Amino acid sequence: MPLPLSLLILLAPAIGALLIGITPANQPALIRRLAVTCSSISLVGALIAIATYNTATGGYQHQLFIPWVQTPKIGFHLGMDGISVVLVLLHALCGFTGVLISYGIKERVKEYFFFYLLLITGVFGVFLALDLFFFYFFYEMAVIPMYPLIGIWGSDVQEQGVVRFSKEYAAMKLTIYLTLGAVVALIGLLWLYVSSGANTFDLVELQQHLSNVPLSSSLQWKIFPLLAIGFGVIAPMWPLHSWSPIGHAAAPSPVSMLHAGVLMKLGSYAIIRLALGLLPEGARLWLPWLAGLSVMNMIYGGFVAMAQKDLKLIIGYSSSSHMGYVLFGIACLTPLGLNGAVLLMFAHGLMTALAFALVGHVYDETHTRYLPDLGGLAHQLPFIAGCGVVAAMASSGLPGFANFVAELLVFLGGWDRYPIPVICGVFGVVITAIYMLRVVRGMFFGEAKPAFAHVHDVVTPFQKIPYIVLIVALLGVGSWPQPMLRIIDVSSRPLIDRIAPNTPEPQQLATTASIVPIDAQQSHRPASAHP
Amino acid sequence: MIAAAPWGLLSVELVVCAWILVMLAADLLLPQSRKASLWLLALLGIAAATACLLQQSASPQETFQSVLRLDPFSRYFKGLFLLTTAIVIVMTKEFRRHLHVHVGAFYMLLFTALLGTLILASVNDFLLLFLGLELLTFSLYIMAAYLRTDTRSVEAGMKYLILGSVSSGFLVYGIALLYGFAGSTNFSVIQHALGSGTIPVTAQAGMFLIFAGLGFKVAAVPFHLWVPDVYEGAPTPVVAFLSVGSKMAGIVAMLRILYGVFASLSSMWAAILALLSAATMLYGNLAAIPQTNIKRLLGYSSIGHAGYLLMGLSTVSAAGVTAVGYYLLAYLFSNLAVFFVVIAASDAIGGETLDDYKGLSKRSGVLAGALFIGLLSLAGVPPLAGFIGKLLVLLATVESGQLWLAAIGAVNVAISLYYYLMIVKRMYLDAPSTTAPIALTGTTKIVLAFLVFGILMLGIVQQPFLQHIASALQF
Repeated sequence: MPLPLSLLILLAPAIGALLIGITPANQPALIRRLAVTCSSISLVGALIAIATYNTATGGYQHQLFIPWVQTPKIGFHLGMDGISVVLVLLHALCGFTGVLISYGIKERVKEYFFFYLLLITGVFGVFLALDLFFFYFFYEMAVIPMYPLIGIWGSDVQEQGVVRFSKEYAAMKLTIYLTLGAVVALIGLLWLYVSSGANTFDLVELQQHLSNVPLSSSLQWKIFPLLAIGFGVIAPMWPLHSWSPIGHAAAPSPVSMLHAGVLMKLGSYAIIRLALGLLPEGARLWLPWLAGLSVMNMIYGGFVAMAQKDLKLIIGYSSSSHMGYVLFGIACLTPLGLNGAVLLMFAHGLMTALAFALVGHVYDETHTRYLPDLGGLAHQLPFIAGCGVVAAMASSGLPGFANFVAELLVFLGGWDRYPIPVICGVFGVVITAIYMLRVVRGMFFGEAKPAFAHVHDVVTPFQKIPYIVLIVALLGVGSWPQPMLRIIDVSSRPLIDRIAPNTPEPQQLATTASIVPIDAQQSHRPASAHP
Repeated sequence: MIAAAPWGLLSVELVVCAWILVMLAADLLLPQSRKASLWLLALLGIAAATACLLQQSASPQETFQSVLRLDPFSRYFKGLFLLTTAIVIVMTKEFRRHLHVHVGAFYMLLFTALLGTLILASVNDFLLLFLGLELLTFSLYIMAAYLRTDTRSVEAGMKYLILGSVSSGFLVYGIALLYGFAGSTNFSVIQHALGSGTIPVTAQAGMFLIFAGLGFKVAAVPFHLWVPDVYEGAPTPVVAFLSVGSKMAGIVAMLRILYGVFASLSSMWAAILALLSAATMLYGNLAAIPQTNIKRLLGYSSIGHAGYLLMGLSTVSAAGVTAVGYYLLAYLFSNLAVFFVVIAASDAIGGETLDDYKGLSKRSGVLAGALFIGLLSLAGVPPLAGFIGKLLVLLATVESGQLWLAAIGAVNVAISLYYYLMIVKRMYLDAPSTTAPIALTGTTKIVLAFLVFGILMLGIVQQPFLQHIASALQF
């Protein structure tokens, strides 16, 4: 029996962590090579998975099922649908480039890569798991390594030499927030499991059971907020976001890349997969509230980002602002909005990983992230400056980048139902442009500062790989989003149809014909309409 | 009249009895220079008892005028008690330096305590319950005060003795009231009497008094007051035995009594147990936060774990009992791993305050790693044993409809994670005062590897354990 692709993707970093665990600590080169090998195996696996994903059949593919526990019925069930296959690819890209960027870590290399690969395994597990037990299992497993990763290899957030947040504080705040969120969600999941009466933790079976025997709407009304708030903490949903920018800022750059690039997406993914997938009626009742909160994310996060002077805090708040668009896309309850949300998760993950990678390089070289201290770095760091401009353009949603397509889809998907939030969201894009351009100007342009004369650019092709990979992915998906959108659409459309079957297709869609996979629409619309 | 058969049923207890004498004789007869290897002799006793346990048949039977009951339930817990004692014996080997000359007598007391727990595992009569509990507790009184030159140890023994005696008083009073009601101390007779006709107030009072006596053993609020001081002062191997063996014995007795004798009154005790469980969890975990001594902190944390165990008991369901069985197994491995590190590190790091653990990871990666895994397992983080235990207990609680209790239990996971992580922070994030590496003995490494392996196995491969526990713990 060939090794199933999903198991390969999950096992590669796990085995890597084990191998690193038994490698002597005085061989950092071997440890790094192991980490790169394992993460590139996962990346290749993820690329094959998305390339071979069959959009004609849709549903969960590359499945693997091993019975695990009999009572309560738990199975080691892995698989990918159109939404998770995209996120698995995102995570594989971020993990691979993150490992390459981690070459800058010189202290306690063995422990670092052990925890880093554990983190990568946990996140892959969440995206791949099709069993509530293992979903939660991997979710918690992804949260805990963050504590040592930030606490040991992170840095304090300083402003003018004064410590604003110590890394210990940031690490503890992150862990406690995420664990509290997780246990709230756990109560929701257990309640859902018990009241469903399906006697199985298997997500697919549970979904099947719940579509035949739906939960009463009062129960759905009660359980949905537990899941939405519990997973919303990591999303990060306003006003529970405050752990996130601090955590980004204090973490070492490769960890920030995973943290902002993928870890935050676990929240919105869990809301899509579990809250929307299992509680359609609850979703209908509660999602308008989520839309309202997401506007706060966009606007509030944007304004706070404008006020920051620490580069990583700016990107941190900007991330929580952008995740507002993702949450809004989910709350729209239209296929377009959900497609946009998933694509934005992908695009934002790559963009923010790129941003943290280059900020990390600047910090390593100049030993400061304080914006007023920087300037003129384009003279010394032409390559990094070029990447910085690309990241800023992607973040502001310029055409050509995947972010543009995704944000446009979210706005179009939400216009019918929530016009005012859409207007706020467009305003939020302007805010993003303001602070991003300000960062680019403050960092790279202006007079060359003599203090930075010694600063080195990224020169070797090997060092350039992560930047180039991320930019190519961003531009590639941005200029030709059709294939990826088709894959997302295959899974998001049935999901939305179950929740809001009577939503009329907005008329404006005709204008976006070039972006939206029309054939996918047409082939799925009749199939998923009422039989 | 006396048939040969019952002695075979008692083989485990008889071996332990014999070993009490063996240890006493060895302590008196062996020259001082040879006493260093007494732990091997003690382990031999455990091995012999384990061999006897494995030989016994699994079918349930009662013996000695049905005061003792041998069933899969008792076999499971006897196994756990023997395992705990074996690990505590190896701990004592590492701790020997502090015990001065009377190591043999210490092992003897450990065996009497073990005998008490073994009796509790198969008890079917209130008199024998009292006997087993007193045997266990009396040994622990002496062991807690074993460091005679250390005032804290003497204080610990004294406090434990006074509060323990009060709780024994409750227990005896409760037994007397029940005897007055049913005319017997036998579990089955009382259960039968409770199941038919009205139940007088005195019998109910008896039930609650017995519960108070056992609550002292498991350190449930409001019978927890002895815990912090005793944990801080008593010799560390004794604390390890107290926190695992003694707590487990209390839970075993509670399971036998609540799910056996008082099964028909479950509507009465379940709600009270749920309330106590919530109070116990919250108190233990919140009070652990400001602690600065690791043994004191682990004392409060053990109160928190008692809360989870009571939560499992309050579900009145087979799933809850299985969850408690799994939780105890996970707790055994995790807590003993933590205490083992505390003992192995205490001499090198010079104390038991939390700040002594600063930079431990730089001095001994093995100790820091084992403590990290043990603490996270106690907190309930996957893929470790404690996570599965907590998940099963929470699931059983939600199934029993006590959503509020499960919510409190879930929030306590986050609270406990905070203070466990504060220890991890000191070990991994802070700088050590000295970087001299800590040398570990071979036995320490082997036992720690075994415990960590157990924690991982219980956390990842649940089915075989779960199946065994579910089939053993039936009422």
